Amino acid sequence: MAKLTINGQALEVDAPPDMPLLWVLRDLLKLTGTKFGCGIAQCGACTVHVDGTPLRSCMLPISAVEGRAVTTIEGVGATPAGRKVQQAWLDLEVIQCGYCQSGQIMSAAALLAGTPNPQDADINAAMAGNICRCGTYVRIREAIKYAAKAV
Amino acid sequence: MRPGRILLIVVAVVVIAGLGVLAWLITASRPMAFAGGGAVALADYKGPPPTGVPADFASTDRIARGQYLTRAADCLACHTAKGGAPFAGGLAFKLPFGVIYSPNITADKDTGIGGWTDAQFLAALRGGVDDTGQFLYPAMPYTAFTYMTDADGLAIKAYLFSLKPVHRDNKDNSFSFPYNQRWLIGIWNRLFNANQRFQPHPDRSPQWNRGAYLSEAMAHCGDCHTPRTLAQNLDNHRKDAGAVTAGWLAYNITSHRLYGVGAWSDAELAQYLSTGYAPGRGVAAGPMGEAVDLSLSYLTPSDIAALVAYVRSIPPVATPGQPAPVLTPAPAAPGQGVAEGYDPKGKRIFEGACASCHSWTGQGSLTPWAALTGDRAVNDPTATNVAQVVIAGAKPRMGTALTYMPAFGAAYTDDEVAAVANYVTARFGAKPSNITPKQVAALRKQS
Repeated sequence: MAKLTINGQALEVDAPPDMPLLWVLRDLLKLTGTKFGCGIAQCGACTVHVDGTPLRSCMLPISAVEGRAVTTIEGVGATPAGRKVQQAWLDLEVIQCGYCQSGQIMSAAALLAGTPNPQDADINAAMAGNICRCGTYVRIREAIKYAAKAV
Repeated sequence: MRPGRILLIVVAVVVIAGLGVLAWLITASRPMAFAGGGAVALADYKGPPPTGVPADFASTDRIARGQYLTRAADCLACHTAKGGAPFAGGLAFKLPFGVIYSPNITADKDTGIGGWTDAQFLAALRGGVDDTGQFLYPAMPYTAFTYMTDADGLAIKAYLFSLKPVHRDNKDNSFSFPYNQRWLIGIWNRLFNANQRFQPHPDRSPQWNRGAYLSEAMAHCGDCHTPRTLAQNLDNHRKDAGAVTAGWLAYNITSHRLYGVGAWSDAELAQYLSTGYAPGRGVAAGPMGEAVDLSLSYLTPSDIAALVAYVRSIPPVATPGQPAPVLTPAPAAPGQGVAEGYDPKGKRIFEGACASCHSWTGQGSLTPWAALTGDRAVNDPTATNVAQVVIAGAKPRMGTALTYMPAFGAAYTDDEVAAVANYVTARFGAKPSNITPKQVAALRKQS
């Protein structure tokens, strides 16, 4: 049994230590807001926070997150930066098909939590690993700046 | 002085210089010369046997012992084509003078070695001569296996003959003249193959002697890690000082504290050899990853400890061209840590494809073995292995098949691989590399 803390809740899951966190979230805990994209940490759709750091859960063995706080798209709205980012996403209607957006929001929230007024270079460095097939990048950049100004 | 006399002196100088070079070349072939004199014949050695299998395996049958030794000698790595049947040969060795293919060493009578006698097997293994009397190319490390005992060589044969024979014709080599003149190898062998069995050093510990046998007669570490002379024999005057083999840099593994592995602890060396990873020291990829997978990971802890004891004794060789690894992490801020002037493409690729696992500090974010800090590859100013890992990926053997570095070779052009490799060495290494797209293209062809 692996002891995990997901969105503030302590849980025990019956899974081998090398199972990727994404599989545990989606298949065992039914937290399906986090998406499977590429499976090799190249697209960003599966991004979650571990102790506030955005990580790709598809390649993250659960043995590496025991005793650390995991936040998913289902829980990020409870954090100040996450709330602002979600509101900005709604206000500016960032989403097109939406598949990558959980990951986009998680990366953006982590960026704002650490860098409250990000410049374009900061946004590039933080968001480059999150791919959007619909090409909503312009609105994502706008929404991050919008969220940074929000109270 | 009379002209005749001057000529005589010139000839004498040339002859003496020539003999000096020849003596230097021949002594370069002796892998254990650093240990000094005092070696004795195995039969005269009073210590515990340095040859054979470790005590844990001594009670097993000959085939199990043969399997252990076959793994220790890593026959499988070269005698299996990519995706091919084990030991059925066909792996291509792309050398500057042409391509040669490893032969089928399964017990198939028509295409393998099923018809070989014990004597023929030992002659090939240790003398580099096949059953028809033809010389083998020294891509086969018979200059190392020559130190193997009869019993161990024949245990390997017994194991190979216990497996299912595979009918697979050997591929013809594509060596051009003069490299297709195999009789020349006979002369080379006379000069550079000791053709003598392992001789222990009674003044060294039993563990050291076991390590020496494992390293020199079995694992043939020097075949990749020791540079070669112009005559293509190993230059043991610079034993284990590092060399490029099959497009990958085999690092300096001498006991030099800066340039070799002298600063590694015994535990780190043992963990690296048996699992392909030691914290802060990087992950074995490419041919070394394969050596761990197919060979070293099967060795018993006592044999790994023996190898460590032996490697520790290799005299230090300074290789300033390969600076000591930087052990401090890079800055967490993406905009800091790399001087201007690099190809911005490199940073763009890194932030999109690499940073999510390796992190901007190089400490690794998903697992500790994604760490780049302290890794030899990122500190190599030629960026050879960084480019190779980007192309081929890396699969750590930490009990998980689900977390690995994907291969990017098909996704990125030579130009992009070069740009990201140069960015990575500039950010995490001792000295920025300047690998070119052309060099990346050459690396792709070699591995």
